[in-house]
Amino acid sequence: MARATTPSLDGEARLLETREVLPGRHLLTWAAPSIARQVQPGQFVHVLAPRTPGLLLPAVPVAGFDRVAGHISLLLLDRDGPPDALLRTRVGDTAALDGPLGRGFEIDSRSRYLLVVADGAGFARVRAIVDEAVASGRQVTLLFGARSVAEVPPSSLLPDEAEYVVATTDGSLGHRGSLVDLVPEYEAWADQCFAAGTPGLLTRVATLAKGRDGRMGVARLGRRRGRRPEPRRAEARRRAWLQVALPHEAGCALGVCLGCVATGTDGPLRVCREGPVFAASELRPERDP
Amino acid sequence: MSTDLAPTRHSGLRLRHPVLVAAGGAGYGNELIAAVGEQTPGAIITRSVTREARPGNPPPRMAALPGGLLSSVGLQNPGLDAVLRRQGPRWASSDVPVIVSICADNADDIAYLARGLDMQPDVAGIELNLACPDRSRSGEPIGLDIEAAETATVVARAATDLPLIVKLTAVAPDVRAIARAVAAAGADVISATAAVPALAVDAERRGARLGTTYAGLSGPALKPIGLRAVYEIAQVVPIPIIGIGGVHSLDDVLDYLAAGASAVGMATAVLAEPSLPGRLGDELAGWCSERGLDDSRHLVGSALPGRKDRGSLRMGPFRR
Repeated sequence: MARATTPSLDGEARLLETREVLPGRHLLTWAAPSIARQVQPGQFVHVLAPRTPGLLLPAVPVAGFDRVAGHISLLLLDRDGPPDALLRTRVGDTAALDGPLGRGFEIDSRSRYLLVVADGAGFARVRAIVDEAVASGRQVTLLFGARSVAEVPPSSLLPDEAEYVVATTDGSLGHRGSLVDLVPEYEAWADQCFAAGTPGLLTRVATLAKGRDGRMGVARLGRRRGRRPEPRRAEARRRAWLQVALPHEAGCALGVCLGCVATGTDGPLRVCREGPVFAASELRPERDP
Repeated sequence: MSTDLAPTRHSGLRLRHPVLVAAGGAGYGNELIAAVGEQTPGAIITRSVTREARPGNPPPRMAALPGGLLSSVGLQNPGLDAVLRRQGPRWASSDVPVIVSICADNADDIAYLARGLDMQPDVAGIELNLACPDRSRSGEPIGLDIEAAETATVVARAATDLPLIVKLTAVAPDVRAIARAVAAAGADVISATAAVPALAVDAERRGARLGTTYAGLSGPALKPIGLRAVYEIAQVVPIPIIGIGGVHSLDDVLDYLAAGASAVGMATAVLAEPSLPGRLGDELAGWCSERGLDDSRHLVGSALPGRKDRGSLRMGPFRR
C-alpha cells in the first residue's frame, strides 16, 4: 500500500465513457494507463488541460480504477468543484491529467470488516476504497448521507458485495435523519473506518471514533507490544481506526501555495501533499457543530 | 530584453526579462527554480516573511471561483531567520534574482527585517508589503494610510541599500497619494496591486466559505483593478512599476506595460504553470522582435494620456 511518491504525467488521457449518474453529475472513464498503474484509493489528479487559464489546477479524486485495462474514473459530484472545461469533453477527446497525487487510504492487512462513511461529494473520494476492499475479499459497509433521494448515487456504482446503507434528511430514501445516527451500530463491528464528506460529518465521526478509542483503551489494531508508532509515520496511519479524506478543490503544481492546509495536531498540514487522507489523530479536533 | 528596475542603486535590479513571479506564486522560489529548467522568470518575489514565525489562518483558506481565486493564507511562514537558514543557501545556486517580500506592522520589525536581508549576498532586493494588516489600526493595511505608508518606507529605506520595492493595494482611497508618498520616501520601485479583500458565501451552510470570512481575491478577476492602479500610479511617480493582478497571457503583459508598468508580476497563474513567466518572457521578446523593437521599454506607458495629474477614479467615480 505504498503511495506513489513520484507523480507521473500521463500526458494525454482519452475519454472513453461518460455517464450521468445524477442530474448534472457525471462519471467520466478515461484511458490513463500510467495513472491507473500507480493510483491508490483516495488519491487525486490535477487537470492540466482543459481548464480555465489563469486559475489553479482543478483537483479531482480518482473514484475508481482498473489497472489491467489502464482505466480510471472521475466522479464529478461537487457543487462548486466540477471543472466546467472537463465536463465539456466528449468521448474520444483528450485531457492532460497529472497524477496520481497525494496520499490515499491505507487498509491494514489485518482488517477484515471495513466501515466507509460519506456524505455529498465525499462519495467520489471513497468509492475506490470500497472497490479495492471488496476485491481483496473484505466485508464493506458504506453509510451514505444526503438531503434527499435525488442526491443519492445509484448502487450500480458500487460492487454487489458491498452493503450500501443510505440516510436522507427528508426520509425520501433509507433512514430518516442524520447519517451519524447509524455509525454507532457498525462501529464495534468494523476493524477500520474510512470517511469523506462535509466538515460537519467528519467532525462528528471523529468524535465518535475518539469515544471508541476511550472505551477500548487503544484502537484495536494499534494494540501491539512495544512502542506505538510516531503519529505521522505511515505505519500509524495504516493502523489508524479512522482515516478521513479531506476535500481538496484545486491546487498548485508545486505544493507551495499553502491554500489547502488542514489544522494538524503539530501545525498546518498540506492536504495536497501530506493528505488528502489523514489518520483522524493527525488532525486537531474541531468543535462538534 | 533585460531591464534594470533600480539603476540608481549600487547593486541595481537587473532582470533577464520583465515577467516575474509575484509574492505568493512560488513560495520561497526554490521549488519553482528546480521545476522550470531553463524557462526561468525574470525574478522571483518570495512569499511574505515576518520577523517571527506565523502559523497562518485557520482552514479552509482557499476557494476557487469562476473568475479568480480567493485565499487567506494569513502570512504562514517560519520567520526571517528560519527562511534565510533553510532557503537562503539555495538562492545562490540560481541566476534568477530573488526578492524577499517582508511584512510587518511596526517600525522595529520593518527595520529588523530589512537589516537582516541587507546582509544577505543572494538577496537581490526587498519588497515591503504594505497590504500587511496593521494590528494597531484594527487590522487595516498600512497601505491605506499615507502617513503610515510613508513612515514604513522611510524605515525600510534607512535599513537597507538593497533595491526597495513597495507593494501597494488598489483599495487605498487614493492610490496616487500613497504612491507619491512612498516614492518620495525612498522606494526604488512600486508594485501594485496586492490581492483585494473579497468574500465567498456558502448559502447552504449559511456562512462564509473561508475560515477568516474575508480573503484576498486574485486571478483574472483582479486584472482590471490592477490595471487601474498601475495606470493611476504611472501618471504621478517617475519610478518603475511592477504591474500585478490577473496576468496569465502575453496580452495581459502587453496591457500592463501599456498602462505604465515596467515589469509584470504574476502569482495565481504561476501556481498552475510554474514555467509560465519564463514562457511569457520569451513570447514578449518574440513579439517585440517581430515589430522591430529591441526592448519592451518602448511599450511602457503607451496607453497613458501623458503624465497629467488626472483625478483618481476612486476619488470621483465616473465623474467627468
